Amino acid sequence: MASLSFPKSTSKRKIKPFWPVVVSLLLLLLLGAAVIPELDLFPESWNIGLREPFNEFKRWVVINRTTHWMFVFFFEPLSNALDFIIRLVENFLLWLPWPVTMVLFFWSAHKISGLRLALLVSGCLFLMGMFGLWEASMQTLALMTISVVIALGLGIPLGIWSARSERVEWMLRPVLDAMQTVPIFVYLIPVVLFFGIARVPSAIATIVYALPPAIRLTSLGIRRVPADALEAADAFGSTDRQKLIKVQIPMAMPSIMAGVNQTIMMALSIVVLAALIGSGGLGDVVLKALRRLQVGVALEAGLAIVVMAILLDRFSVALGQFSVINQASFRGFRLLPDRWRGIGWVDWFENGLDGLYRWIERMTNRLGQLLPSPLKPYQDALLFGAFCLFFLFILLLSGVDSFPEGLNLEISRPVDALVSWMQVNLYEIGNTGLGTGPFRDFLIIRIFLPLADFLTNVVPWPVILLVFGAAAWQTGRRRLTVGVILMLLLIGLTGMWSFAMDTLGQTLVAVIICVLIGIPLGIWASRSNTVDRLIRPILDFLQTIPIFVYLVPVIMLFGSGSVAGLIASVLYAVVPVIRLTNLGIRQVDQTILESAEAFGSTSWQRLLKVEVPLAAPSIMLGINQTIMMALAMVIIAGLVGATGLGLEVVQGFANNNLGRSVEAGLAIVLLAMVIDRITEAWAEKAAQAANL
Amino acid sequence: MKVQLKNIWKIFGPSPKHILNTIEASNSRADILADTGHVLAVRQVNLDIAAGEIFVVMGLSGSGKSTLIRCLSRLIEPTEGQVIINGRDVTTMNESQLRELRRHTVSMVFQRFGLFPHRRVIENVAYGLEIQGVPAAERRDKAQQILELVGLNGWGDHFPHELSGGMQQRVGLARALAVDPEILLCDEPFSALDPLIRRDMQNELLNLQQALQKTIIFITHDFLEALKIGDRIAIMKDGLIVQVGTPQEIITNPADEYVREFIQDVPRSRVLTAGSVMKAVSEIPGFSKNPGILTTTTLQDLIPLVAALDGPLAVEDETGSVVGIINREIVMMALAEQGATE
Ligand SMILES: Nc1ncnc2c1ncn2[C@@H]1O[C@H](COP(=O)(O)OP(=O)(O)OP(=O)(O)O)[C@@H](O)[C@H]1O
Ligand SMILES: [Mg+2]
Repeated sequence: MASLSFPKSTSKRKIKPFWPVVVSLLLLLLLGAAVIPELDLFPESWNIGLREPFNEFKRWVVINRTTHWMFVFFFEPLSNALDFIIRLVENFLLWLPWPVTMVLFFWSAHKISGLRLALLVSGCLFLMGMFGLWEASMQTLALMTISVVIALGLGIPLGIWSARSERVEWMLRPVLDAMQTVPIFVYLIPVVLFFGIARVPSAIATIVYALPPAIRLTSLGIRRVPADALEAADAFGSTDRQKLIKVQIPMAMPSIMAGVNQTIMMALSIVVLAALIGSGGLGDVVLKALRRLQVGVALEAGLAIVVMAILLDRFSVALGQFSVINQASFRGFRLLPDRWRGIGWVDWFENGLDGLYRWIERMTNRLGQLLPSPLKPYQDALLFGAFCLFFLFILLLSGVDSFPEGLNLEISRPVDALVSWMQVNLYEIGNTGLGTGPFRDFLIIRIFLPLADFLTNVVPWPVILLVFGAAAWQTGRRRLTVGVILMLLLIGLTGMWSFAMDTLGQTLVAVIICVLIGIPLGIWASRSNTVDRLIRPILDFLQTIPIFVYLVPVIMLFGSGSVAGLIASVLYAVVPVIRLTNLGIRQVDQTILESAEAFGSTSWQRLLKVEVPLAAPSIMLGINQTIMMALAMVIIAGLVGATGLGLEVVQGFANNNLGRSVEAGLAIVLLAMVIDRITEAWAEKAAQAANL
Repeated sequence: MKVQLKNIWKIFGPSPKHILNTIEASNSRADILADTGHVLAVRQVNLDIAAGEIFVVMGLSGSGKSTLIRCLSRLIEPTEGQVIINGRDVTTMNESQLRELRRHTVSMVFQRFGLFPHRRVIENVAYGLEIQGVPAAERRDKAQQILELVGLNGWGDHFPHELSGGMQQRVGLARALAVDPEILLCDEPFSALDPLIRRDMQNELLNLQQALQKTIIFITHDFLEALKIGDRIAIMKDGLIVQVGTPQEIITNPADEYVREFIQDVPRSRVLTAGSVMKAVSEIPGFSKNPGILTTTTLQDLIPLVAALDGPLAVEDETGSVVGIINREIVMMALAEQGATE
């Protein structure tokens, strides 16, 4: 032990003299900046000029699309095939009379998991119809289906392959890690470069984005198959193939199905962004409505997306259970996530459903008694058929071709009214200087602008490099330090420095708010089971909502722009800090707590001196995730006019200046990697410190 | 001989072959681990196992039993030596020959059952048949029969986790028997079960063996279990076999201190038989035969008899002819030997 700790303490000593150097360099630079004003801004002349080559390339693509072999023999056929399939499914779904669609869904859900799921699924579909969004929903559903099927078709075999080959795993892992770090937005850029803007590129972006969990969880599931099961398979003389098909895949099924579920949710979370490059469907409705500031319509479509998320989530979870257990277990499946078990109203709700279900069962059994005896064996099928017919009949009465207008749930008009009321009445309440308007102005004028100005104009850019470098150095990793500085330099060299600083500033504000809210809330939740039970469903719900949908209600209150982005970021990104703080503290070893108690610590002392330090690795991990999520959201808020790198990407798309999108996209990736790697290194350092 | 092991070695580590050539008889396992970082799991094992025999390998944890038994069907590849089953050299078999051997000739039962949790009991039992390509109906019938044989009638459609530990191991046994193997490898099959269930399972195995007459290689670290079911016992220590013999041979004549440790706690009266302690004579003049004392009668059953009668008693073999005599003194000496060696 002594020989182990010795080199560690020397390496710490090596790092210490670094701080005086940093501080004196900082002072020197700040002084220098006061004397030489040019030092503030990243030198324009250093721009490596990425923009033009990419725009050039894009023009070349447009001109050569019909002639060059790469397009004629590869991209075009691929694109055409994909387009054909998507249209086929879409047209089929649109052609199908809506009651038939509902019955089909009802029937398959009933088959998979019973009445509960069937009712939920048809209820969700019905809601989409009631929002007047049946067609858009079917378009989105078609695109989702195809993208998810292809993503699974690629991802599951890749996952199997990488479980069986160390080489493949070794090659795939860094790619998957990088894919997880890169914010959603960036996926769109290369796709647009080759495919332009249409349905196919949005499907491709969706597929690529949704691929990682399918690969990862398949591989993980297969690797986790216990060795004794494999040995038994070997002992009976199974071939490799038999082992895979009869043992490994079936035993990995729960994990694979979790991958399927995550793939679906990932695909759905990109749905609004995909609209940016022409996916159509619900995403398009949201996007267009937001641009025209029709908040009501945007909210309807946003809700429809959430409803679809719920539908697909529950459906795929049930499918997972179905394929694992291999039989429909009618009462086993709970509508609400299993994690919520034990929460009062959840149990109450589920028990109520149980009662309802039993009642229906009793009634159908009683009806079955009336059947003539030769038909008795078919009782279930007959009753179900009758039920469907009845269902169909009611729906047919109200109209087949399109969803009946009479059933429309007009929420957009009252919402719009509410929004204008809020704009009039909440914008500024009397002459008090309170209200959303002053709040927004305060944030923008007092915080965002000065911060962005501070980071870009006041602080010389080398100082930022130095600060980041020092943060990386502090974890004791030299390669990381060099990497971080080089990546930041590259952001400057692409001419995106000031936009990146703007984004960084907004992210910083969001993260600070998240931490200030999240850590106390997490601690509270770890102390009180009531609070824990109260917030768990809320956190789960916040994580199910596709990323973009957060913006809609926020815009209702604060209009579009950076403030909406900030608030959406906080809502979206606060989840992991709360969750991991709570988890970290709850996982602190009970015996350690007892010994703290034995020394007579007060509750506060116990918290601050024992629990928080021991939970530090978990909390750091939460902060890491929060930072990455906040960054992603700040960037996406570019769609509603929040300034910074996100807006650059959007405007690049809008102005047919793809080079600009590429520069901004590259800067996003670099910034994300820098922040991710540094915070990750800090989290690991905290973990090591806690272990010692 | 059904199974022969010739000079089997297994060394775990980065370069086992190389290490093998440098090992000398005097090197202990701990030294080799300390010097080279290689684990000497099995060391120069030679065994001959006859058809229809229950051959028990017994030793402390880490003595290399599991490794040895896995070398037999090459689930672990031996570093050196030959395994010969039915006169064929297993160590030189190619993949498909080896697979055939595992499918039809050698079957295995595992300590932690190794059942497939996603398959129903009947599908677990039928697994071996399934991968041989036996048609579904046929393998279902066969699996059903075997389930009845191990006393699990009616449990076929359950999943393994719905069964108790003892029942799960019956499934494990059924799965191994379903392919009708000639050789059954059992790696501590009953160690995970509690004592009462374990005794049931031991009896069950002995009953099955009477009917099936397989060649069984059975691993245990429980000496009483070894005594109860083994026709012969091999005792392993640090990868080496230190003694092979029948239970009586081992008890009456332990090879070294290690073996003596094992037999210390054994209730000798329940293991030693009249045959193993009697004074052998072929003719006993002047004594009428005392019916009921066979060579296989345990001392425990003899004690009341010798306590009641002063004179020597005749011991008979299965055919009824007298092979030796026994008296109070002999019995007491045999029981006292335990104390004498301490
Ligand atoms: N794959 C392996 N790599 C390295 N060493 C191993 C490996 N498998 C077994 N060993 C070592 O070989 C030795 C013998 O192990 P083995 O499992 O055969 O013992 P065992 O007699 O079956 O013990 P137990 O009663 O605990 O099952 C042990 O010291 C073990 O640590
Ligand atoms: Mg073992």
